[in-house]
Amino acid sequence: MAKTAEAALTVGERIKEALAFKTIFTVHIGSLSIPVSETVVTTWIVMFILIVGSILLTRNMRTVPKGSQVVVETLVGFLNDFFKNQIGHHWKIFAPYLGTIGLFLAVSNVISFFSPLAGFGFEPPFSMKPPTRDINVTAALALMTILLVIFSGIYFKGIKTWIKSFVKPAPFMLPFNILEYGIKPLSLCLRLFGNILGAFIIMELIGMLIPVFVPPIFSLYFDFFDGLIQAVVFVFLTTLYISEAVE
Amino acid sequence: MNPMIAIGAGIAVMTGFGAGIGIGIATGKAVEAVARQPEASGKINSVFLLGIALAEATAIYGFVIAMMALFS
Repeated sequence: MAKTAEAALTVGERIKEALAFKTIFTVHIGSLSIPVSETVVTTWIVMFILIVGSILLTRNMRTVPKGSQVVVETLVGFLNDFFKNQIGHHWKIFAPYLGTIGLFLAVSNVISFFSPLAGFGFEPPFSMKPPTRDINVTAALALMTILLVIFSGIYFKGIKTWIKSFVKPAPFMLPFNILEYGIKPLSLCLRLFGNILGAFIIMELIGMLIPVFVPPIFSLYFDFFDGLIQAVVFVFLTTLYISEAVE
Repeated sequence: MNPMIAIGAGIAVMTGFGAGIGIGIATGKAVEAVARQPEASGKINSVFLLGIALAEATAIYGFVIAMMALFS
């Protein structure tokens, strides 16, 4: 009995250790010292991958596409068609933001699948955990989205119509309409965070149980499929909120 | 650890019941809709994805609460 309790405690401790955010280095500016955590470093790596990929894939553009340009054009065309269908004729302003968020989330959710030396006690950048398991990242993304929704609503409708839209179906809907602007970012933030954290914890548990051969197979579902679905859902909901705001 | 915390975390995760039932119903209806009108499968797909994302959110809230109870 005592032995099982001890074992359970160690599993809990190990999960806790895996969930903690390590401080990679500390920046000193005068008397100020800013700790730079694992999440920030992993986000830099994601940014690096995206920037280098964008530069490499868009070099030597031709009128008649060839090679990798075909793939990139198909992807961008697919995204643009999707935004055009959802948002309507104002889509062109929002497409870059939505596409960037989609690519960032897609890469950062699946990055733990590509970390070459996970589980050997290596520090980032050699062992990467998804940065979206940090609630600060998802909260920042949700905040950006809701600010975009508010400002695009004001810009495209005009401030008077926007304020009138709070009492739109009937005046008693006012508190619910105000509450909506708090619930939307909260649910966006928690949905992404919870999904990625849940998948991460399940992968850690599988890795503790059977460390070899089995984790990559489950990783295909939990990291790849779930991560990509969550990226799609985040972009889809953002598109929906924007189209609601500008129409 | 206080055992009551563990029990509370278990109760919080029971939100998964509702999400499971909701996603099951949504999937069944989506399959029915695609079987009836295969040409509308693109639209059905996007509405279905949105629906399961919203249904799943309740389970995720329960999970987040359980995590907060266990690890904070």
